[in-house]
Amino acid sequence: MPVVTLYFNRITKLLGRKVSKEKIISTLPFLGLDIEEEASDHINVEYSPNRPDFSTDYGIVSGLQGLLGIKLGISPLKIKKGVDVIRADPSVGKVRPFIVAIKALNGKMDDETIRQIIAMQEDLHNGIGRRRKKVSVGIHDLDKIKFPLVYKAAERTHRFTPLGSQDEMSVSEILDKTETGQAYKSLLEGNTRVPVILDSTGNTISFPPIINSKLTEVTSKSKNLLVEITATDRNAAEDTLAVIAQTLQNAGFKLSSIRILGSRNSTPILDSRKMLLDPTLVNGILGLNIVPSVMVKSLRKNRLDAKIKGKQILCTIPRYRTDIFGPIDLVEEVALGYGIENLSPTIPQARSAGQKNHVTIALEAAKSTMIGLGYMEVMNFGLVGKQTQYDLTKRDSSNIIYVADSKSQEHQILRDALLPGLIDTLSRNIHESYPQKIFEIGTVFHKGNPIDEEIHLACISAHNDTSYTEIKSILQSFLKSGFDVACATKISQDPLFVEGRTADILVNGKKIGMIGELSPEVLGSFKMRVPTAGFEIKLTGLIFD
Amino acid sequence: MSQVLHPIEQKILRALLEKQNVTPDDLSEMTQLSIDQVRRGIEWLKFKDLVQINESEKSFIKLGEGGRTALEKGLPERQLVNYLKSIPVSSCEMNQAKEHLKNEFSPAIANAKKNKWIEIYENRILLKGYHDATAEERIIKLIASKDPVAITTDDIEDKEALDLLKKRPKFLNFTSTKYSTVNITEKGIGAAQNAAQTTDDSVTRAIDVEAPVPMAFVAKSHPLADVIDEVREIFVSLGFSELVGNSTQSSFWNFDALFIPQDHPAREMQDTFYLKDTSAKSIAKPKQINQVSKIHKDGWHSDWKLDAAKKMVLRTHTTCVTIKELADKQYEEARLFSIGRVYRNEKVSYKHLVEFNQVEGVVVGKNVTLRDLMGLQMEFYRKMGIKKAKFWPTFFPYTEPSLQSMIYNERLGKWVELFGMGIFRPEVTKPLGIKHPVLAWGGGIERIAMLKYGLDDVRELYNNKFSWLRSVPKCQ
Repeated sequence: MPVVTLYFNRITKLLGRKVSKEKIISTLPFLGLDIEEEASDHINVEYSPNRPDFSTDYGIVSGLQGLLGIKLGISPLKIKKGVDVIRADPSVGKVRPFIVAIKALNGKMDDETIRQIIAMQEDLHNGIGRRRKKVSVGIHDLDKIKFPLVYKAAERTHRFTPLGSQDEMSVSEILDKTETGQAYKSLLEGNTRVPVILDSTGNTISFPPIINSKLTEVTSKSKNLLVEITATDRNAAEDTLAVIAQTLQNAGFKLSSIRILGSRNSTPILDSRKMLLDPTLVNGILGLNIVPSVMVKSLRKNRLDAKIKGKQILCTIPRYRTDIFGPIDLVEEVALGYGIENLSPTIPQARSAGQKNHVTIALEAAKSTMIGLGYMEVMNFGLVGKQTQYDLTKRDSSNIIYVADSKSQEHQILRDALLPGLIDTLSRNIHESYPQKIFEIGTVFHKGNPIDEEIHLACISAHNDTSYTEIKSILQSFLKSGFDVACATKISQDPLFVEGRTADILVNGKKIGMIGELSPEVLGSFKMRVPTAGFEIKLTGLIFD
Repeated sequence: MSQVLHPIEQKILRALLEKQNVTPDDLSEMTQLSIDQVRRGIEWLKFKDLVQINESEKSFIKLGEGGRTALEKGLPERQLVNYLKSIPVSSCEMNQAKEHLKNEFSPAIANAKKNKWIEIYENRILLKGYHDATAEERIIKLIASKDPVAITTDDIEDKEALDLLKKRPKFLNFTSTKYSTVNITEKGIGAAQNAAQTTDDSVTRAIDVEAPVPMAFVAKSHPLADVIDEVREIFVSLGFSELVGNSTQSSFWNFDALFIPQDHPAREMQDTFYLKDTSAKSIAKPKQINQVSKIHKDGWHSDWKLDAAKKMVLRTHTTCVTIKELADKQYEEARLFSIGRVYRNEKVSYKHLVEFNQVEGVVVGKNVTLRDLMGLQMEFYRKMGIKKAKFWPTFFPYTEPSLQSMIYNERLGKWVELFGMGIFRPEVTKPLGIKHPVLAWGGGIERIAMLKYGLDDVRELYNNKFSWLRSVPKCQ
């Protein structure tokens, strides 16, 4: 989850009222923020990506002001109608069709403000922007730009000086040579032409979704900003703009609109929404019996507007609260404003007895029988590495089930047997005293559609006097005294076991598993020196259906 | 009741009744026990206060260079006497004797005079008196007779003569060794007599019931499995019935049915394990697919692709099993839970595993509330022995309102996050025809196990280290 750094001295100034550090720290979790790290002058909090308005300290302060009762209700966006124009050329239709923009005027950009805004931009790119695929944001020094602007597709030979460079480069060079170019060039794959924003003098100001131009770089001297947002999803573009507009207004900028012309595009409207909330829903879901006026007050604490309208509550939701889908989300807002700590738990009585699944009951019996036979339970992963499962055990690997793009070699395939894991377990305990007798009960996977999932039991015994006879005796006693099942063993072959000391395990003539003494080659590849014997059987269909 | 002594102890005590102040080696000889048995027996007896051990030091003597010469040729004074006897009139000039005895002339004269074997008269040495063997000579012979074994100072009775010999340079070599001797105590004498009366090896064959013995290894269930069982028992005791489902699931039930948009970052391959090239043939009833697809298009203003819903994943939570059950069965009222392995494509670390166990419970009912959900948590925690818990708001894509519980861990002395919970969103329940609110909560079992067993690295639960598995107490 993304992280925001809050400096206490800045927070105190922004809150507009003296609030103790302790009070701030203890209130933050009630905004749904997780405290990551505490230091003397700052605190790092994680916020959930469904609340992009918490991506700066301005947004978090707005939330704190509500819960602490410093400011209640909406702080409405005030956008002056502007006359400047961005025209979207039809040529961007196939690449990145949508653009929205706004001006933010007369603000002050100190270093921390710039840092907060850049961090917000990155979070928006990664969250709502889906790593810039859906939405990307460019923030520019407005005073370097001459309107009107045009948003169009340009050839890859198009040249300008990108941010972070001293020299003019072609689009192709930027994609191949700069860090962000390399990171995001895949987003433009399949398009010969790429989107650019040009101003009226022909200067390139942005190459979305890759990089801005050096010309319009924002510095601590910038007073007026242009925010442009390009997107493959118009709605997501407006959501993003709403968050940024609100943040910049909270940071002291005056907003002014920019007209957007061109096919499929239009000037964004960042108006708040109205939604009706039924108080009986609130009381029903929360298990409370509070009156509508309390609900109104609670909603206002979460920086929403609300008023009673007949038997309903009429809520006004600012445009940046994109996380509110319907009345149920307002119920949560009431709960947070009312205070989670004020909801006392109630214990509903069960009307019926609970019960374990029949599979669990059968497996519990299998487990206690194995323990009774003197075997210790171990637990291994179901998602395992190929080396142990097949290479070192010399097993047939023609039906491997792979997962895509695993981050670890040890977790690449779904196991189709438990014995390899048990052998590996023994090999990692060779310095411990013998005899070593272990078992595992777990799920194994076989190819098919759907994938066939079975529960197996495997058991293994390692000590100087172990033998086929010992392990067959365990198998036989397990089945007989555990489940009154008789089994037979029929000689067979398997690379895991010694030839002549290997058998198929049959129940009612049907093969349910393998048994044998482990082959010296397999033991050798696991660096084991003690004789070892084991078996593995399928429990699914045998002791439960 | 008298103390029962081990046969080894009995033998040692009997030997000590006969002779005190003996070394372990002596005891070994006396009792015919091996030296190791004797040493062990002595330790046991000492522990019971039946014997006492004295640490002493012993000096061992061997002949030095001078001693060996004396053995061969006699002491200097003996050589002088022999010389005098060999010459006529048994007397000579001092110088003559000096020439014969060389370096040994001075001690020879001094000692012979002291023994009254000679008389010196006007620079001549005259033999006189009897020349019997001296005590010093006897000591030299005694030492030589035992060679190569060194004898101790205790073996020599005439300490005065020994001192004289010591004074002669390089006649004797001394080495000293520490050693212990064993004595029987008074309590030991009683015990030995008792033992002699009461034990007869062939009849009772009593053993030392108080002696330490080696550990036996207990065959037992895995500690993590014990936590899973404990959690299961609590759910059953709270009236919940168990669901079991597959680890491999279609994206439809793992994500789409839970209103997680198809372009949600959690659905990307760097977070979720997709089975390579595997799509489900049939995922759900046509009506279920239709309704879910519609809510996605309305709620997320974006395309919804059936192919993406068919992709098979390793379930990232057990909620996929729960939601399918609720969609298929349409309960008016239910309490269900499931426990099982879930998978996340993470880098393995002390905090994260790619595969872990999750428990999840749901309550379906016409009038169930968020406060009920909180109450069930508190009840669950109480049964787990957790006394302090509190709730904070949080976000999950498929529940609203959503909370997370924080529990106070005594060992760590701080609040730690445990189960997440919430009420299923209408976007989840309505398309699947679920009419009543569904309270849901869940979390990782390993986290509980780490708190219970005091582990700081989650990987330890799957290491299968026998040293830990064999020693960790079943009840904590």
